[in-house]
Amino acid sequence: MNKRVLAMLLCLVMVLSVMSIGATAYAEDVPAHKDTLIIGTAADINNLNLQQQQDATNNIILKNTHQTLLFFNNDPNAATRFDPGLATDWEFTDDTHIIMHLRDDVYFNDGEKTPMTADDVKFTLDMAVGEGSKVAGNLAGFVSCSVVDEHTVEIEIETYNNEFIYSLASVPLSVQSKKAWESGMDEPWFIGTGPYKFVKWEEGVVCRLEKVADYWGNNLPAGDIFAPGVSDAIEFRPYLEASSRVIALQNGEIDVCIDPPMNELQYLEEDKNVTVYEQTGTRLFYFAFNTQKAPWDNEKLRQAVACAINRDDVLTVAVDGKGTLQKTILNRGLWGFYDDMEGFNYDLDRAKALMAEAGYPDGGISTTLTYSTSGAYANIATVIQDNLSKIGITVTLNPMEDATLKETCVNGDQELYLWRWNEDSKVDFVYRDLYYTGSTSNYHHYSDPHADELIDKVATEKDQDARMAAGIELQEYLVNACPQVPLYIANLVIAFNKDLQGQYFYGGGNHNWSHAYIAK
Amino acid sequence: MLKYIGKRLLMLIPVILVTSFLIFWAMSLTGGDPARQIAGDRATEAEVEAIREEMGLNDPFLVRYGNYMKGMLTGDMGKSYVTNKDVFRTFMEKLPNTLMLGGAAVLIAIIVSLPLGIYTAIHQNTWKDTAGMVFALFGTSMPNFWLGLMLIILFSLKLHWLPSGGKNGFASLILPALTVGFGLAALITRTTRSSMLDVIRQDYMTTARAKGCSEKRVIFRHGLKNALIPIITAIGLQMSLVITGSVLAETVFSWPGIGRLVYDSISKRDTPMVTGSIIMCSVLMCIINLVVDLIYAFFDPRIKAQYSKKR
Repeated sequence: MNKRVLAMLLCLVMVLSVMSIGATAYAEDVPAHKDTLIIGTAADINNLNLQQQQDATNNIILKNTHQTLLFFNNDPNAATRFDPGLATDWEFTDDTHIIMHLRDDVYFNDGEKTPMTADDVKFTLDMAVGEGSKVAGNLAGFVSCSVVDEHTVEIEIETYNNEFIYSLASVPLSVQSKKAWESGMDEPWFIGTGPYKFVKWEEGVVCRLEKVADYWGNNLPAGDIFAPGVSDAIEFRPYLEASSRVIALQNGEIDVCIDPPMNELQYLEEDKNVTVYEQTGTRLFYFAFNTQKAPWDNEKLRQAVACAINRDDVLTVAVDGKGTLQKTILNRGLWGFYDDMEGFNYDLDRAKALMAEAGYPDGGISTTLTYSTSGAYANIATVIQDNLSKIGITVTLNPMEDATLKETCVNGDQELYLWRWNEDSKVDFVYRDLYYTGSTSNYHHYSDPHADELIDKVATEKDQDARMAAGIELQEYLVNACPQVPLYIANLVIAFNKDLQGQYFYGGGNHNWSHAYIAK
Repeated sequence: MLKYIGKRLLMLIPVILVTSFLIFWAMSLTGGDPARQIAGDRATEAEVEAIREEMGLNDPFLVRYGNYMKGMLTGDMGKSYVTNKDVFRTFMEKLPNTLMLGGAAVLIAIIVSLPLGIYTAIHQNTWKDTAGMVFALFGTSMPNFWLGLMLIILFSLKLHWLPSGGKNGFASLILPALTVGFGLAALITRTTRSSMLDVIRQDYMTTARAKGCSEKRVIFRHGLKNALIPIITAIGLQMSLVITGSVLAETVFSWPGIGRLVYDSISKRDTPMVTGSIIMCSVLMCIINLVVDLIYAFFDPRIKAQYSKKR
């Protein structure tokens, strides 16, 4: 009897030893970390229903709980910016049909491990272009999606487009669970396949995500885009007032301060517990003309203005020099970015000569510069007002709120204006949106058949060399036509706890936090 | 009394009608197309137009207003253009936060201002009175966003005693309540002082002293009770303002209250949220004023008698 008890005890000890070895191995895999990573956002989180919103702050949160068919990487020098995501590969079977294969090991975080299948992908895409969707514009050119087999879909598009497939990397098009939507549950959009799940969302206070214990990618190695997270939880807390956000970081209430104000960076740089990180960004700030409104329909006059603007001064007053001056109209980091043209540098003599060529040798123009009351636009406007006075152009400043400014520009009621464009993945979202005849966000009201033709060519040309040549020609053409004067690309500046690890930053600000943690 | 309360509550109907009409009208005058805000920069004109049609934004102003009021009659204040959430529910989610902040601020203000106002009144024209009035002047003239930042720097950044913002437990309420409460305390101190000065010179105060009452009893029993009506009015008025207008403090301290909700909604042209919130704020102000009027009756028998006569 005693021997049997002893044997059982020995067995128990052995089992416990094996279990403890397993536990140790797991513990060694996961670096020591603070339980909760807290991110102080600069804007409120207002809607987490993926296809009912287009907001950057919402999307940053949704990236942790949902996953996309393609993954947009953050390396501007990579051969391709788009890697396989939930789709393993894809190919065009003809100009308008794409066959896409899906991973077969993915399941939703619905407590039942419901597998993600082609039905879910079809459901998601159909819903995106369906009634009431607010993201249909992300899938421009989409015709239909059909299920080929459990892990294969066929997507049909209107015409061949080099960048259509990249749309599938946008967060609002993350794959959603058909089963959840059809079950009649409340808020089915919260069910995703990501490494984190929603636990709590108190509007204006906190959105808390916690690591999914039985996440489908738990066995993936660290470094894989779908590897499990490290932090046990991630909280997003809105701190709308920039100074409060900075103080909250210094006080240890948050671990990351998004968009720290330039005039307070000095305090953060002096703080030994804080790292201020800076990299080239993608947000292009520009000065532009309503090209349909006289006298700004005069190309020479637009060029004269471009030569009269001292962009160095603009960069200093706007972002304290933390940015890059640029000549082209394309955001830095995008495919085909080309900035080697002569462009229009600050040169008052050339500006005056161009004024004469334009028919205004003595200036004598009075105009209005419309700009947003947010950000640093007021400072930029003051510099430009002074610059243009030197070539005889009197500028009246006309600040207005963002919403009013957009409506004014869409209606073409502005003369000169300041605005921005942030695009880091698709060139067509710059060329077509800003310069194509009739595009809603073409606030320049620019219309030129040759430019339209080149824009179409960049979108549809299959020969990549010919496409690149068309892109360069288009940039040179638009810079010369001068519907806008590119001013600068603002650097990405972000401040965080010095022990932050695993962060994955994008120049445009749509960072991935799913692998970030505070090392202990 | 009940009849009076019923009458006052009935008066809310014209208040709601006028307020909602004015807000609807003001929002229609502001630039910015809500449909475009919702659709995003990339939407085509057709998509924006579809949203406009769906939300009834193409209807004439009076039709839109009529539809909104029809919804109100059935208890439906509409859905937010931005979050797609029910306006009433969103407002009610934020209201406890604002009431918490407002209540704490008023409590701090009362604790500081009543003793200080009485003290300065009974020491009129001395250095103590001057010091009290300097405090009051300082509190009235100081912008509360600046005071808020100064408190954050001192208590959060330097001393690390309190969180700088957010809503995360009782500690996070202290700084915003102090910031709002300090401004209120200054105003209520001035009112208390002047009200007490009026009362102190009354004959019944002299009579009370002649009867042999202690100075403490004279001041608190005979003086303060009679001086309370203007003070209660001031507190009630300030309470209304705090509830509806703490937007600066709520922004500086990232406090998720009604002020911030209205401010954000205006900037996003979220007409249903702005209209609904302001109507609710008007109702709240009316209710607070009613409560103040009822408190008058509690402290002043003459007013209570009036109510009784009416009945």
